[in-house]
Amino acid sequence: MKDVYNQLFRIQNAQTGNETNSFLDTIQQSLAIGSWEVDLKTMEITWSAMTRSIHEVEDDYSPNVEEAIHFYEEGKYRDLITVLFNNAVNNGEEFDAELLIRTAKNNLKWVRSIGFPILKNNKVVKILGVFQDITEKTNTFKELEYKEKLIRTTIENAPNGMALVGLEGQIIDLNKNFCSYLGYTKKELMHTYVNKLSHPQDINIIPIHIKEMINREKDSFECEKRYLKKDGSIIYCLLSVSIVRDDANKPLHFISTIIDITKSKAINKKIEYLLQTTKSQNTRLQNFAHIVSHNLRSHSGNLEMLLELMQEEIPESTKNEFFPLISEAVNKLSETIQNLNEVADINTKEKQELESNNLLDFTNNALGTFRAEILDTNAKINIDINNKIEVLAVPAYLDSILLNFLSNAIKYKKEDSIPVININAEKINNYVKINIEDNGLGINLDLHKDKIFGLYKTFHQHEDARGLGLYITKNQIDAMDGKVEVASKVNDGTTFSIYLRYEAN
Amino acid sequence: MKQINSVCLIDDDPVFIFAIKRIFKLSDVCENFTVYNNGEEAIEGLTQTIASGKHIPELILLDINMPIMDGWQFLDEFTTMTVSKKITLYLVSSSIDPVDFQKAKEYELITDFIIKPVTRKTVIDLVENMTQNQ
Repeated sequence: MKDVYNQLFRIQNAQTGNETNSFLDTIQQSLAIGSWEVDLKTMEITWSAMTRSIHEVEDDYSPNVEEAIHFYEEGKYRDLITVLFNNAVNNGEEFDAELLIRTAKNNLKWVRSIGFPILKNNKVVKILGVFQDITEKTNTFKELEYKEKLIRTTIENAPNGMALVGLEGQIIDLNKNFCSYLGYTKKELMHTYVNKLSHPQDINIIPIHIKEMINREKDSFECEKRYLKKDGSIIYCLLSVSIVRDDANKPLHFISTIIDITKSKAINKKIEYLLQTTKSQNTRLQNFAHIVSHNLRSHSGNLEMLLELMQEEIPESTKNEFFPLISEAVNKLSETIQNLNEVADINTKEKQELESNNLLDFTNNALGTFRAEILDTNAKINIDINNKIEVLAVPAYLDSILLNFLSNAIKYKKEDSIPVININAEKINNYVKINIEDNGLGINLDLHKDKIFGLYKTFHQHEDARGLGLYITKNQIDAMDGKVEVASKVNDGTTFSIYLRYEAN
Repeated sequence: MKQINSVCLIDDDPVFIFAIKRIFKLSDVCENFTVYNNGEEAIEGLTQTIASGKHIPELILLDINMPIMDGWQFLDEFTTMTVSKKITLYLVSSSIDPVDFQKAKEYELITDFIIKPVTRKTVIDLVENMTQNQ
């Protein structure tokens, strides 16, 4: 290099003709290389056209040494060029440095500045220099450096644990989270074999996948895997491994990513436990239902039979205060068992098949049951149900539901007025909403809203109020994927809205 | 009006046995009873009775839930036996499980299903049914 430059400058020095200078300027321009020269005797500085152009100064600009040095960016670059230049002057040392300048137009540029001291009689008389604009090159380099750093910090700070693993399983590089998941320092993990971190029981999960990836049968795999932390505790991870190959498809290394799923594992375990508990409780409930439906019924049935026989065979034994009370107690017991049975039946049955039922037919049937009560009370019944509406229901449940709400509407009428019951139905999305509206006593919902569909809850001092109807009804509606709503005002009336699934014809 | 010569009761509940016998007697329907406390006893007893050809019951009242051999198992065995005389068989149970009703329909042998408790009226209706069908 030096020889080439020396030649160039010798030519320039030897021939001061303008033509040669412009020739050199052309060469310099095309290379983006300028030259400069400091005559130490006169302290005169000469800049070539290219050097001036890099500095972005006028063609006739000619600086002194101080001004020339001032172009270098204040701070370390200006300090450095000062030292380098002084060394060249005083000690005859060459220099070659990459430095930052601020041009006359205030642009920052990277330059390569080379200085050659010229000796005459062992004394430096001149410094010849080369000046090259390397901004573009430097910027490209810096950009690469920046990108590399960006990738490095991204990996380092990624929310997952990441590691580069060699083909033999040794850790080549790893990020912060990989270390912190496992409780080790980076130093401790570098170059260790990744399978040493595995939970002993999970150590055989990986090798087959690794083999398949090396054999090019696949490029990645994912699995759940336990690792042992430094403190001996277990961490559940979701591990993803992919293989990196070179252009010739030769395997280079693996990228392993781990996500800590210990928490969700724990939650899953809890859910599983709850499911198990629910299952066993359900079994117990079914057993209980069986006890109610069979054993208790047997006993109460026996009591009923014995009482009947007593009355027949030894009538004199029944003519006292006790017998009627015992008899009543036994009847109540049987009735309660019967009720419990119905409830248990709905709740423990497998999901029943829903059939398509004509709502108007069922409503008319249910009303038929109450013919006597309707005549008795002069009740006015208004039905507004399209005869094409079919609902999906268990027929027995649909019967029971309609009977219950209609019976309530008649039963809880106001003392002094004729009951008016409006029944209508409308389609809402996939449901049929059945409204049963009465002008009866009403229910104080402020007081009873939460327990209106509860077991053995009654809201009126009616002799027939058993507190079971609404509970069973609600259970039956729920069992058919439906729902029920209530609106009521004391002394104004009650409207029950029943939603049942709609059967499209 | 004793319309039934012999009734076979297969039930493990002594209270029910006591009561049902009394109801039959009270209704003046029958006074001869054979009692078995589970299906196995009944199969053994009935095998002998049928073999001897004497005192073959006209009516069997069969409980479902019994120890050792339940009502269904009894029926599976009993179906395979050849009987010279027509025997009317009723299932008698506290069960109101529809599964049981459904299952009962699968046995030709079963005339009907009676749910406990059994009252005098039930017994009288039952006997009327039997005599009508004869």
